[in-house]
Amino acid sequence: MSRVLGRRQVGGLAAGALVAGPLAIGSVRTVRAADASTFITAAGLPINLDPHQVYDVPMQGIMLNAYDNLYRYQNDPPQIVPWLAASHTVSDDGLTWEFKLKPGVKFHDGSPMTAEDVVYSFRRVLALALAPAGAFLKILKPENVTAVDPQTVRFKLDAAYAPFFAAIPSISIVNPRAIEPNAKNSDWGKSWLASNGAGSGAYKIIPTGYRPLEYLDMEINEGHFMGWGDNPKPVKKIAYRPAKESSTRLLALLNGSVDCTDGNMPADQVEQINASKIAFVQKDSVMKTFVIRMNNTKPPFDNINARKCFAHAFNYMGFINDILGGYATRDPYPMPDNLWGIPKDAKGYDYDLKKAKEYYAKAVAEGAPMKRAFEIHVQSENEQSVQGAQLFQADLAQIGITLKVVGSIWSTLTAAAAKPETTPDMWVHWVSTYFVDPENWVGQMYDSQFHGTWKASAYYKNPEVDALLRKARATVKQEEREPLYQDAIRKIMADSPDIWIYNSMQLQGFNKRVKGRRFCTVGQGAEVRWITLAS
Amino acid sequence: MLRFILRRCILVLPSLAGLLLITFLLIHSVPSDPAVAMAGDAGTPEQIARLRAQYGLDRPIWEQFFVYVGKAVTFDFGESVFSRRPVATDILQRLPATLELTFASLMISILLGVPLGVVSALNHNTWPDYILRVFSVLGIAVAAFWFAIMLQLFFAMDLGWLPLRGDLTSTMARPPRVTGFLSLDALLAGRWDVYLDHLRHLVLPAVTLSLGGLATIVRFTRAGVLDTLQQDFVFYERAMGYRWLRLVWVFILRNSVTATVTQIGLLFGGLIAGAVVVEAIFDWPGIGSYTVQAILTGDKQVMLAVTLLVGTVYAVVNILVDVVHGLLDPRLMEQG
Repeated sequence: MSRVLGRRQVGGLAAGALVAGPLAIGSVRTVRAADASTFITAAGLPINLDPHQVYDVPMQGIMLNAYDNLYRYQNDPPQIVPWLAASHTVSDDGLTWEFKLKPGVKFHDGSPMTAEDVVYSFRRVLALALAPAGAFLKILKPENVTAVDPQTVRFKLDAAYAPFFAAIPSISIVNPRAIEPNAKNSDWGKSWLASNGAGSGAYKIIPTGYRPLEYLDMEINEGHFMGWGDNPKPVKKIAYRPAKESSTRLLALLNGSVDCTDGNMPADQVEQINASKIAFVQKDSVMKTFVIRMNNTKPPFDNINARKCFAHAFNYMGFINDILGGYATRDPYPMPDNLWGIPKDAKGYDYDLKKAKEYYAKAVAEGAPMKRAFEIHVQSENEQSVQGAQLFQADLAQIGITLKVVGSIWSTLTAAAAKPETTPDMWVHWVSTYFVDPENWVGQMYDSQFHGTWKASAYYKNPEVDALLRKARATVKQEEREPLYQDAIRKIMADSPDIWIYNSMQLQGFNKRVKGRRFCTVGQGAEVRWITLAS
Repeated sequence: MLRFILRRCILVLPSLAGLLLITFLLIHSVPSDPAVAMAGDAGTPEQIARLRAQYGLDRPIWEQFFVYVGKAVTFDFGESVFSRRPVATDILQRLPATLELTFASLMISILLGVPLGVVSALNHNTWPDYILRVFSVLGIAVAAFWFAIMLQLFFAMDLGWLPLRGDLTSTMARPPRVTGFLSLDALLAGRWDVYLDHLRHLVLPAVTLSLGGLATIVRFTRAGVLDTLQQDFVFYERAMGYRWLRLVWVFILRNSVTATVTQIGLLFGGLIAGAVVVEAIFDWPGIGSYTVQAILTGDKQVMLAVTLLVGTVYAVVNILVDVVHGLLDPRLMEQG
């Protein structure tokens, strides 16, 4: 070796050591990245920051912290409570809604919020016609959102639509004075707001601290209209630092470099986290159902006995207990079992291969092609959907049905679901809470007018169910709507168009210094204003 | 020299055009619909149809291709379906982080790989050679994912010497963006704290990404040096009493690294592709996660732009490799 390493080489090694030295001795203990006032979350970020372009669970987290809404969902189970609005009225025909605003609300730039700003926000949502507009496009024209006076907003609907009020919290009120100077080619400031903030929420977005999907910083809005009397020691800064890999997310929680994870901790990590000195797993029931869709237009799924055969062949409790570690509740209904409108007398399908065989024989007798090979398409990036399909495959094999598991991705699956002929035999997905109303589940999943959307991809059609769901949608009072949904659900369950498996339990890891968190299924507990960081 | 480089650049253009055409056709043959992703989870059929028309997704594929090429030559790669921002802007924002990571990895691979390859060859069939051979096989065989987690467990969790993930400590304010390279921007702003913190964050992902390249360079350098050691000029120089170290590190090495330099060119493209996995594990904010998100949402504009970018970087690096070959062996340059 001596003839290989000369003076220069030794010099090089020494230089390397000089560089490496400070890196190594910079911190000899496990790094604690958080300080006493910064809340660091490893939860995911939405694809951009504009609450009128994107509406999904990560965006709900941003909305709840950086923006305010007329009404907001709070508590568990969720209750819709006045937020920017002090109160509201609705006409007897359900067409005219008026919202009275609270006085003294200011945007982050200090300008006062008025009814005109609410009008601008709703007109922007309708003009962009993206995700959050879905609940309003068919029943609300932009010119029918008006300011009666500086504190009153009026909505005149084209038709009575009961879920209107339930969907109100999905719209964030934005500041036109921040957006309009940055608008280009009448784009409603779409490009600008994708990377900036224009809200009035409890926290302000720091645009220089944002890179899409990678990181985002927010700082406290001391002048928030709710004040901070209910939390004298609030978090001063929020640092979103999404962890993309499950293993990295776990390690970051265990070494204290993040205060919380997202709500999708794998069940097998729960014990490990709870055994640590630094972190724990919070379990919350959410309204997020897991369902296997069947394409009711493709034989043999157009045969009711065939569909019932499949419904009895899924090992519901085996999946929940063995694969999910018991962290889900069996939900035999086509919507969350903790939502109003469920007919509790209706019986779901249980795992019974004997019954499955009987229905198999009936379907064959009626000419259904049960012997053909079937496909179930899964979201490959989501292990749980793959495991569910594999379990199903094993049980179906026992009754002589061949099932092929096909890996796919969400965008491909939803594109395929646009037409009955391209929709797979079966596919697996969840339905999250976009607004707390049966319309979010049964209304949009089983009314045939929604055929062509991924939610209605069973292509189920029953004129009686259509009529009930449409009547429920046009009826304002919940007590009158409830029996309509119960009737519709009984009929849907009797037809067995899909396989309804469970309602989710959210598993979220927290550092033990996090105190005061409040949970609501809408936003999945992402509102930071209640949180305090213990020293 | 200039003619040599120009000729290489001209030869690259048809390759890039072919890459663009094939990638465009392949990506458009996948049955995903960006309009569905754009409309979001709660999108209605009317919203989806409107978006298809707005972004020209309902036009024939050949028309979409020519529109795309017309814009791409002016560096307009369209708008990302998921970030709703110009793809070129998104890529420019992220590319420096990926280049920092790949450059650091390449430096580790070269600065360690070449000397170790020489050491291995000079100690042919002795224990240092055996150890390095085992290492080079392991380096190629070990999955980056596993190696990354091992490094995280040991250096970030057990010893606590290095950060687990990210490119900067979460509570540290970033310097103003000038070049986009965080290390350079920190130096330009006089923020030594940010610079050193960023370097500490760079170590684990760079080491992970360098492993395969390091092993390859060790193997190729070893083979090249062993081959050169058998040549007459080595015996002649040694017989003439030439200093052994100068002979090894200047003459033998120069005659041995042709294949290694070619490999380095090939490695660079692989490093950018490999960065997708490493960036995901270490939450490094480069183009990796952006690309993964594009694939998951069926964002064809981003997939095309990233493929073109990687192809262009690959082509540029290979031109540089040709130049280095020409410098090492001037006969190649004369032949053109």
